[in-house]
Amino acid sequence: MELLPQVIVDGILIGGVYITIAIGFSLAFGVMHIIDFAVGEWIMLGAFFGYYLNRWTHLDPFLLLPLAFVLFFGIGFVLQPAIQKVLSGRRGNPLLMALVFTFGLMLIIRGAGLTVFGFYSRSIPSWFSADSFVVENGSLFLTIPAVRLAGLAFALIITFFLQYLLKKTDFGTGIRALAQQREAAGLMGVNARLTNCYVYGIYLGISAMTGILIGCVFSMTAMEGGRYSLLAFFVVVLAGMGYLPGVPWAAFFLGLVQSFFIVYLSASYVLLAVFVLLYVVLLVSPKGLFGKGW
Amino acid sequence: MRRNNSLYLCILLPVIALLVVFPYFCDSPFYLRIATEIIMWIGLAITWDLLAGYTGYLNFGHAMFFGIGAYATGILMKHAGWPFLLTLPVGGLLAALTALIIGVPTLRLKGAYFAIGTWSLALAVQQVALVLNITGGPDGMRLPIFLNPRYFYFWMLGIVSGTFILYWILLEKSPFGLKVKAIREDQDSAMALGLNPTRIKTQAFVLSTGPVGLLGSIYAYWITFIDPLSTLGDILTDQAVVMAVFGGLGTLIGPAIGAVIIFAFKTAFWAYLSDYQVLYLIILGAAISLTVVFLPNGLWGTLIGYTNGGSVLKKSNRSGIQGLG
Amino acid sequence: MSEPILKVEAIVKNFGGLCAVNSVSFEIKPGEIVGLIGPNGAGKTTLFNVISGYHTPTEGKVFFKGKEVTGFRPYQLAELGIGRTFQVVKPFRGLTVLENVIIASFARHPKRRPAEEHAWKMLKFTGLDSQAAKSASSLTLAGLKRLELSKALALEPTLLLLDEVVAGLNPSEADKTIELILKIREKGISILIVEHIMRVIMNISDRVVVLNFGKQIALGRPTEVAGDPVVIQAYLGEEAA
Repeated sequence: MELLPQVIVDGILIGGVYITIAIGFSLAFGVMHIIDFAVGEWIMLGAFFGYYLNRWTHLDPFLLLPLAFVLFFGIGFVLQPAIQKVLSGRRGNPLLMALVFTFGLMLIIRGAGLTVFGFYSRSIPSWFSADSFVVENGSLFLTIPAVRLAGLAFALIITFFLQYLLKKTDFGTGIRALAQQREAAGLMGVNARLTNCYVYGIYLGISAMTGILIGCVFSMTAMEGGRYSLLAFFVVVLAGMGYLPGVPWAAFFLGLVQSFFIVYLSASYVLLAVFVLLYVVLLVSPKGLFGKGW
Repeated sequence: MRRNNSLYLCILLPVIALLVVFPYFCDSPFYLRIATEIIMWIGLAITWDLLAGYTGYLNFGHAMFFGIGAYATGILMKHAGWPFLLTLPVGGLLAALTALIIGVPTLRLKGAYFAIGTWSLALAVQQVALVLNITGGPDGMRLPIFLNPRYFYFWMLGIVSGTFILYWILLEKSPFGLKVKAIREDQDSAMALGLNPTRIKTQAFVLSTGPVGLLGSIYAYWITFIDPLSTLGDILTDQAVVMAVFGGLGTLIGPAIGAVIIFAFKTAFWAYLSDYQVLYLIILGAAISLTVVFLPNGLWGTLIGYTNGGSVLKKSNRSGIQGLG
Repeated sequence: MSEPILKVEAIVKNFGGLCAVNSVSFEIKPGEIVGLIGPNGAGKTTLFNVISGYHTPTEGKVFFKGKEVTGFRPYQLAELGIGRTFQVVKPFRGLTVLENVIIASFARHPKRRPAEEHAWKMLKFTGLDSQAAKSASSLTLAGLKRLELSKALALEPTLLLLDEVVAGLNPSEADKTIELILKIREKGISILIVEHIMRVIMNISDRVVVLNFGKQIALGRPTEVAGDPVVIQAYLGEEAA
């Protein structure tokens, strides 16, 4: 029982990371309605990018975040038209074809990652890495690693920033219009093609930043992309596909569940629980906890 | 429907005949193994295509059924001393039964959700195999050894040919094929004509997975060693998916061709490149991504100028009934 | 001769806050043609969808041949003998005209060959037999509506629900369709028909149900309904009444 507060704190801190994994993905899904099977691989790429850049420039990874965003935003911007082509295909169910396309992307990126980065596990040292905050209050004893706290702060900043972007700017309104009614939005002057490119770019940018974050807080190998895809799916399905406000709740929930399982149950059961839970949620409430998913 | 059936028979019969006599011309266990494996992949690809190409559901948990068959045989032979031939139908039946049970709730999900759902369920099953003792956990299990390449070759060939012929009869000759197409084209219209979409989709699901269980059973006894990675892993599903899409969804021959070509690549890499695994992944990914963008009907599909309204993965009808006026 | 083939009892259908159908009740006697009319948005297609099983009514019951079928799924109703066409035609575009009707024929003729023979009969009856081998996607609108009809007929229904089978056709095509509908009635099939073209409805219906804003505002013979001030007001507004 004395462990409980720490377990809760750990859960919330991990939840922060999960927010960043899922929020860009949910945004992209909400607008383009495609499930990107490669989301975890983009995160992995971001992590390695951060690792090598950190080694080269000796800059703290948290300072490298904006750079990663810009670079991957560019990649996403340029890549999006290929996806558009698949999505607007006359043939086949475009959404499923796009899913298959991202599946292929996943294989390519993973294979390329393994080729270039090998099977090594890397982590990125940060100014925050060494510190921990310790809270003591009678029998209460909490350790809060600084880097995880920084990660949580980052997650919240990103979330608020996205909310601001979507609700208070014209660009954001255009995105929301596009997500709800593609044709009508086009008639109102929202350039669907361009907006899609921006959204995909933002999504890749956030994913890359998430990768660096994970590289700092934990570590990354070229094979781990799949795990983060799974986590992204889980959070987004639970939150409701495309429903951004649901993401923090779902992310914290997942973080807490994982934290509890690791401490009170065996670690090998954690994954099993997550897989089963994901399946059950899909069956019972595919529109997520709040029923606002797509 | 409009194809020249006799032309197909002219090509297929000699091919099957060749396959049957092949082991008598080639005694090398090495080549026999390769041939057995190609046939297994053809089986995995066409079974995946039955669900994906004909009903439009992407089963990213295809490996789950393979593993169920493999472990059924493994456990029954090793722990209960059953002879192989008795475990074979058990493997197939268990796989089919699993599909029946999860089919009804899961097939209700929309396309993308079905993909994620089957994917996560398969991973759950893999986890179960990793933690249980009876499956040997991550170390896997060893089966009684039986070295007879021809035996396994013929079993693999038999099951895969049988499946191919069964599918051909069901899809081309029997009402089932038309019903499946109807559901895929327009579910609401099909319902108005007396077709029960859930029942037909479940039938397709079971038909798609039962044979895979059989293949898993044969694999287990053939390789004599199974573990969660090789029999329940994503890599199994991934390859089947690429082979089917690359070859051509919605046809029976397409995935077979896709399987042969992709497998040829894989073997070439394995033979000549030491680090073939990673390059193979890239090739797999490129094959499927490029196919989706440039040749959506796959290699074979494009070759035969697939004019079936142009599509094989038709948009599944999402409650197209609007109450307006 | 007494039991109605279809009985719709106080049907209410709400979609969230919107009441699309607000307590509609009527009967169809065997062999009758009943017309269902009303301005746009009156709830006609929603009512159709409730009767044919695509929506479950919020309240109310549906009886077919005396048996309650409220909430039955469309394929169950097709089995029992209710056929329908769709306002926006729904052919199986990737298949031929013949294949489209064969699929419908499976309901009564489970095996391929009898189904195919039956399909040919249907196509001859509706005049599409010359186009049997063509792809469904190559038909004109008139052909597609004819195909919808052929498919519904292939079910050998006792009740046929027709949703705007005449709308969009030129006068000669429309007349041919009306002839066809009358021939269908001669075979003893009862019909519930939704149509915007007044002369069609008024000429072939035995009775007419009028909806407005989901409510049933009139029910009776065409001449009665046409003269009803409430109906006139619904269509033309206050001043004309």
